[in-house]
Amino acid sequence: MKLLIVEDEQSLRETIEKYFTEEGSICEVCCDLKGALQKIAVYEYDCILLDIGLPDGDGFAILEYLKSSGKNECVLIISARNSLDDKIKGLNIGADDYITKPFHLAELKARLLAIFRRKTFGSNSLLNYKEISIDLSGRTVNVNDKEMTLTKKEYEMLLYFIANKGRVISKNAIAEHLWGDEMDMLDSFDFIYTHIKNLRKKLMELSGKDFFASIYGVGYKFI
Amino acid sequence: MKLAAHYNKASIIISVSVLLISAVVYYLTINHIVRQQLDSDLSEEVTEVIDYINVNHRLPKPIEFDEDLTTFKKTSVANFDTKFFDAPYANPKEKKTEPGRAVSALIKVNGDNYIVTIVESRENTEYLVQIISTITLILTVVLLVVLIVTNRYVLNGLWRPFYQLLDQVKWFSIADTNKIAAVETRVDEFSDLSDAVSKMSLRATTDYQGLKAFTENASHEMMTPLAIITSKLDMLIQDEQLGADQFAQITDIYSAASRLSRLNQSLLLLVKIDNNLLHDTEKQDIKTSILEKSQQFQEMLQNKYIGLNLALEPLEVNASKYLIDVLINNLFSNAIRHNKNSGSIKIKLSENKLIIQNTGDITPLQQDAIFERFYKSRTSDGTGLGLAIIKNICTLYHFEIKYEYADGMHSFIVVF
Repeated sequence: MKLLIVEDEQSLRETIEKYFTEEGSICEVCCDLKGALQKIAVYEYDCILLDIGLPDGDGFAILEYLKSSGKNECVLIISARNSLDDKIKGLNIGADDYITKPFHLAELKARLLAIFRRKTFGSNSLLNYKEISIDLSGRTVNVNDKEMTLTKKEYEMLLYFIANKGRVISKNAIAEHLWGDEMDMLDSFDFIYTHIKNLRKKLMELSGKDFFASIYGVGYKFI
Repeated sequence: MKLAAHYNKASIIISVSVLLISAVVYYLTINHIVRQQLDSDLSEEVTEVIDYINVNHRLPKPIEFDEDLTTFKKTSVANFDTKFFDAPYANPKEKKTEPGRAVSALIKVNGDNYIVTIVESRENTEYLVQIISTITLILTVVLLVVLIVTNRYVLNGLWRPFYQLLDQVKWFSIADTNKIAAVETRVDEFSDLSDAVSKMSLRATTDYQGLKAFTENASHEMMTPLAIITSKLDMLIQDEQLGADQFAQITDIYSAASRLSRLNQSLLLLVKIDNNLLHDTEKQDIKTSILEKSQQFQEMLQNKYIGLNLALEPLEVNASKYLIDVLINNLFSNAIRHNKNSGSIKIKLSENKLIIQNTGDITPLQQDAIFERFYKSRTSDGTGLGLAIIKNICTLYHFEIKYEYADGMHSFIVVF
């Protein structure tokens, strides 16, 4: 996946770049509106990570440019403002999703993959990972061609883990993905444990393999 | 009592007492003058009698004195001081007794001593006093009426700008954008007051807006560093060389960062509610919201073995979808978080009232403090802003929020 990261905060930009590069995506970065417009005009990208608050103007200009020049890149807006108006405006002029700072890299990755998949393969898409095969439109999961019944939370969790395969995902990131602001962190950690235990057991029954590695109480890794 | 009424009262009391005192003094003075006049008349009469005796060497006949009653009494006393006194006057024409003034004096006729007593009617002079008194009384009443009317209408008119200003101050809210308008008045004090109040309100509003803008900007500015912390942590935990100790510390940093982020979001939400920045107002079905939330909180309820008892009637309220969601979410999650294991939650939604009751700590909360920002119990790990947000949402939509504690149940009541 070829990715353009438009973010003015240097260390955030570098971290995002590192996270995505290690996973195998090709990343280009730029730190202002002018640079971003130049890059978009010349190159093609699969996805653009776009910070709305840029030093030389707001990122909506890029969305407008993409729209007017008929380009079809996936755009994920990053904003420091958790503002409904901004969100609606962004989505209306062509952004595919909206994420508010602070976010977890795992969440960013999962969101980006989701919109990329939706745009590239349409709604009819199969996601395969080792023995696991997920029909994204039907929301069904097969392991070794045997159907696996999952609860809503388990399904969401599985997708989240596959998107961030081989990475350690913190419990905080999982909690925020599954419950958002609804729940206090400490409450939700118990539930994460239960959900992972169940998912792990179901996967083991069908594949005979343990996909989860627990990392010192900080989080989990899907392998 | 209003200032005008106080003023009225004082001025009336003072004017009435001054008038009464002056009426008495006036009356006494006139009476005194009239009496002196009568006495000098009577002295003249006595002189006339003496003159008559000197000329005629006999007592005059009573008939010779116009209407005055003159009597002579022979006496043996040689010394007698002339004295004046009040005596009844028997009016011979009208055959009645009138108040009169008399004089008694000693006279000598051909070597005999007589006491002559002359009585004169006071009727006419009394009448004069009465007329003067009546006029004074009428004047007093007229003066009073004029005073009252003046005070009521003229003074009230004078005070009107003051009350207009007071009204505006009463309804002034620092969060509103409408300022206190200057009132028109020719009274210098009031126009000064009006100027001062409008300036003060403008300054307060500006300061408050500045403060709010500052809170909002500060919160937003904090989001980027928080994003850096979070993403760096996300990268850090990928390092396989770290040990359990480091991971334990990272977990703590994660928690702190996430708490800070929540705190920030709550502050921003408070600013948004204060500024009424959420414009997605439409009809919200409270019953559906509660049912959705109870679905979402299913796991948490089961985890603590909390029994949920719902008695919901349909209710629609005009409000922002987001804020109603926050309102119900905060109330509901509080009821779970501060509950005990195997406790219960009762949610009752009726015509215009939402009651959320839960078991929990057996001591009531501090009713007046719980809605304050950053109030929380020692054991709570929340932001301390949840109830403040609830309160602000209720204030924004003019809902009433109450807390009650009875029979081991903590109740939060929202009256829509």
